[in-house]
Amino acid sequence: MRPVAAARPYLPGLALLAAGALLSQVVAGAVDGLQPLVVAVAVGALVGNTVGTPDAAEPGVGVDKLFLETGIVLLGAAVVVEEFLAAGPTVLGLVVAAVAGGLLIAELIARGLFRLDGETPSLLAAGASICGVSAVVAIGRVLEARGSAITFAAATVLLFDAVTLVAFPIAGEWLGLTGRQFGVWAGVSMFSTGPVAAAGFAHSPEAGQWATVTKLARNSLLGGVAVAYSLAYAARSATDPGVRRLWAEFPKFLLGFLAVAAIANSGLLSPAALESIGRVSDALFTLAFVGLGLSIRIREMREVGGAAVGAVLVHLLVVSALALAAVRWLL
Amino acid sequence: MVSDAAGEPGSPLADRWLALDRGWQALALGLGVVAAHAGAQAVGFF
Repeated sequence: MRPVAAARPYLPGLALLAAGALLSQVVAGAVDGLQPLVVAVAVGALVGNTVGTPDAAEPGVGVDKLFLETGIVLLGAAVVVEEFLAAGPTVLGLVVAAVAGGLLIAELIARGLFRLDGETPSLLAAGASICGVSAVVAIGRVLEARGSAITFAAATVLLFDAVTLVAFPIAGEWLGLTGRQFGVWAGVSMFSTGPVAAAGFAHSPEAGQWATVTKLARNSLLGGVAVAYSLAYAARSATDPGVRRLWAEFPKFLLGFLAVAAIANSGLLSPAALESIGRVSDALFTLAFVGLGLSIRIREMREVGGAAVGAVLVHLLVVSALALAAVRWLL
Repeated sequence: MVSDAAGEPGSPLADRWLALDRGWQALALGLGVVAAHAGAQAVGFF
């Protein structure tokens, strides 16, 4: 019974996260197009900025970071190596260039042009260049960023998801792109996977398939980028940047992400099992996002809001213009 | 973080778990979920 006693302090907070997650699912299920993660953040932020988190719930609410990291480990089940290879060398080259160049451009714009500092530019760069909210969360955990910084970057990415979901199909039609060109363009330029697939299929079935495959190829770079960021930040902060220190700061859950990706691609698990693992990952993210919402302080968001939105907007315009030129030239 | 626990001594298992780095905890939980799915698949659930 002693493990049960040790778990007791966490129960009120876990109950609060679970109630918020359930409410998010119910609300998102009742309104078409509403993402449960968006509602989870909103529910948490509403509670956090009105009544606040009760003292008794603090230990349990703090488990949100463990839920996030476990959710990221399970994201490995969604990595499909075959789809990455099937996208073809040209598209793979575009994806790698867009992610590497996009990260660099976003960091330069956010730090140089908009004077943002700390981890926020890296969180925005990851969200805009790899896979939206998942990347913000993964890189945020790698860098041990504050919960409010992660939530703010995630909110900025979600804002652009909504705008680009409408703007990209209209632009694709206006520019007269083929299905393949539009799909790859949306796949390398837009942020989160859901809106990319939706925008692609809004253009044409062919565009939808190319958008999805391109985006999945881009998502598969998350592990490598997380390791690179981890090493870059550890080297920057280290007084003695030896191997031991780098290992101490290395986020061990990324090994789990890679292990789960290897298991998922080994053929050991059935599609139904992989789908179920994906649902567990989604549930953990929803619980964690309620916790992230609880850490939001509206006043802090107001202080950095304009600069972050400006930085991401400039990044989006530059990357999507370059990607458009590339797909017209190469595809 | 789970390892910020109440600080009272519990069972050896709970103590060992709470002493783990959060990254290792997440890795263990994630692999545990995958192992549970593999087990469920082996008994014909999936």
